Amino acid sequence: MTALPAKLLKVALIVSILGGLYLLAAKNHAERDARRQAAVEITPACKAKLKDYALRPGELYRSPYLLRTTGSWSELRGYSEEDVRAIQRGCNIVDDTQGQLAKDGASERWNATRFSRSTHSSCNHCHQGVGDKQDAAGNRPVGSNGLAASWVMADMYDRFTGLLLPYELRQMQCYINSSNGFKPNADDDLIRDVTAYSRFLTAALDLKVGNHYPEQGIDEIPASATLRRGDDYVRGAHVYRQRCATCHGPQGLGTVVQGRVLYPALAGPESFSSDSRMNFERINSVMPGFICRNMPPGQEGSLDNQECRDIAFYLSTLPRPAGDKHGPLAAAWQQLMMTVMLPLTRYAESLGHNGRL
Amino acid sequence: MDSAEARDGKHREQRKPGLAWLHRGLSKPLAAAAAIAGFTLWAHFGSGVQAFRSQVSSAPGWQQFRASYGLDEFGADSYFVRAAQNGYNLFYFTHRYGWRFTRKTARDAVNACAGCHTIEDLAYGFVNSDRFDARLGKRISFEERVMRCYAGPMDGFVPTLYDPAVRDIRILARAVAHHLQLSEGARKDKG
Repeated sequence: MTALPAKLLKVALIVSILGGLYLLAAKNHAERDARRQAAVEITPACKAKLKDYALRPGELYRSPYLLRTTGSWSELRGYSEEDVRAIQRGCNIVDDTQGQLAKDGASERWNATRFSRSTHSSCNHCHQGVGDKQDAAGNRPVGSNGLAASWVMADMYDRFTGLLLPYELRQMQCYINSSNGFKPNADDDLIRDVTAYSRFLTAALDLKVGNHYPEQGIDEIPASATLRRGDDYVRGAHVYRQRCATCHGPQGLGTVVQGRVLYPALAGPESFSSDSRMNFERINSVMPGFICRNMPPGQEGSLDNQECRDIAFYLSTLPRPAGDKHGPLAAAWQQLMMTVMLPLTRYAESLGHNGRL
Repeated sequence: MDSAEARDGKHREQRKPGLAWLHRGLSKPLAAAAAIAGFTLWAHFGSGVQAFRSQVSSAPGWQQFRASYGLDEFGADSYFVRAAQNGYNLFYFTHRYGWRFTRKTARDAVNACAGCHTIEDLAYGFVNSDRFDARLGKRISFEERVMRCYAGPMDGFVPTLYDPAVRDIRILARAVAHHLQLSEGARKDKG
């Protein structure tokens, strides 16, 4: 007689737990839906970019960029209000992944911070100009990592992963490696909105599917593109202090003012992981290419190929989070180095500043 | 006494043949390994099942398609071309190459994607995908459209997002869109 109520109690408990989980999921689903319907508060950089490209709901889309550069229109399919909001949200995520400019906090960026251990990382750091870098004349610089050019060349064979890499998977890798974080679902709004924004950029710039454009990816600098003096991290440290440390800090820990990341960390716990393509130790041609083509901002092209390789080599010697592929021992070692080496070096450098070293 | 001697004799007999105990101990794992190896060899060389092969069957019309849509102009990227070829097979012969995801057979009048769409429709569909669909009340990606085709008109099942049955159709669409030099949002009526 007592066994039956106990059994019923267990069943009731299981049913109520499952019901609770269902209600929680339904509530989250409704919140996401409400967020999709809500007007988007766009960041200043996105406001300027999307206004420049005349993004608005309508049957047809005509790109002002195309008119400016070629003198002719191209009538493309227009965007619905829902599409426009997705593009605006995608632009916001690229410009401000951490949600530091968001009024409503992380939820306005689909909680992108859930997928990033780094509190510094933002897509805009590598994909400058909100993913569409242009010079004063409106030219798109070589190797500027443009999102639109990446989208038209997505699905191609990627020699680093050995995959026909879809655009969504590439974004996931950014979260895992560049943000030292975790993989969002391919169907997550976080991924899809950035795809919507990237695709809008291809329409605005009139890029054709499958064509290679010079701004796609990074213009890699292999050792063969130098005078073959050999890469030298001592030389790299010297150039780094002269040209990079003002913004990124003497330790490469980035610059944060009043909680806002002005310049991202290149080393230490907030930096990209050692699995990132930006890590010279892993791929020794990507980071030098990025530096030479995109750094320092406003003075791009002022460093020669060997200097870029030296800086990248130096950065790779600084402690940073170990990537997933490196295993727990390497992770523990890097953690130890980040804890011990950074304060020690900071102390040594403070002595140097006083002229005692 | 007799039974004890018999037991001792039996033990001696068991040890006598040298490595027989080892053979007995290993016979089952060896048989299992042989079965796995046999299955693998059969799967790759004898089964003809598409999922086990790294090569793609050359379906009728492929060479002509390859030439007319400039597939060889995708650089030295043979991975992409092979995926596009599988996409071609899936698009024109869905019942044969995508049999896991459709109940349609050779006897059905419409048994392939090509029964409803032209290859150019596919490319235009690709550059107009990832848009809000008012009827469904959500944004629909190209991949989801393909999945819906498998489940609906093809009377079958939904592949996962990463299945070659979806991916290779997207890659085929991309290849054709490249040949037609389409940009995002290109309209067929203006093409």
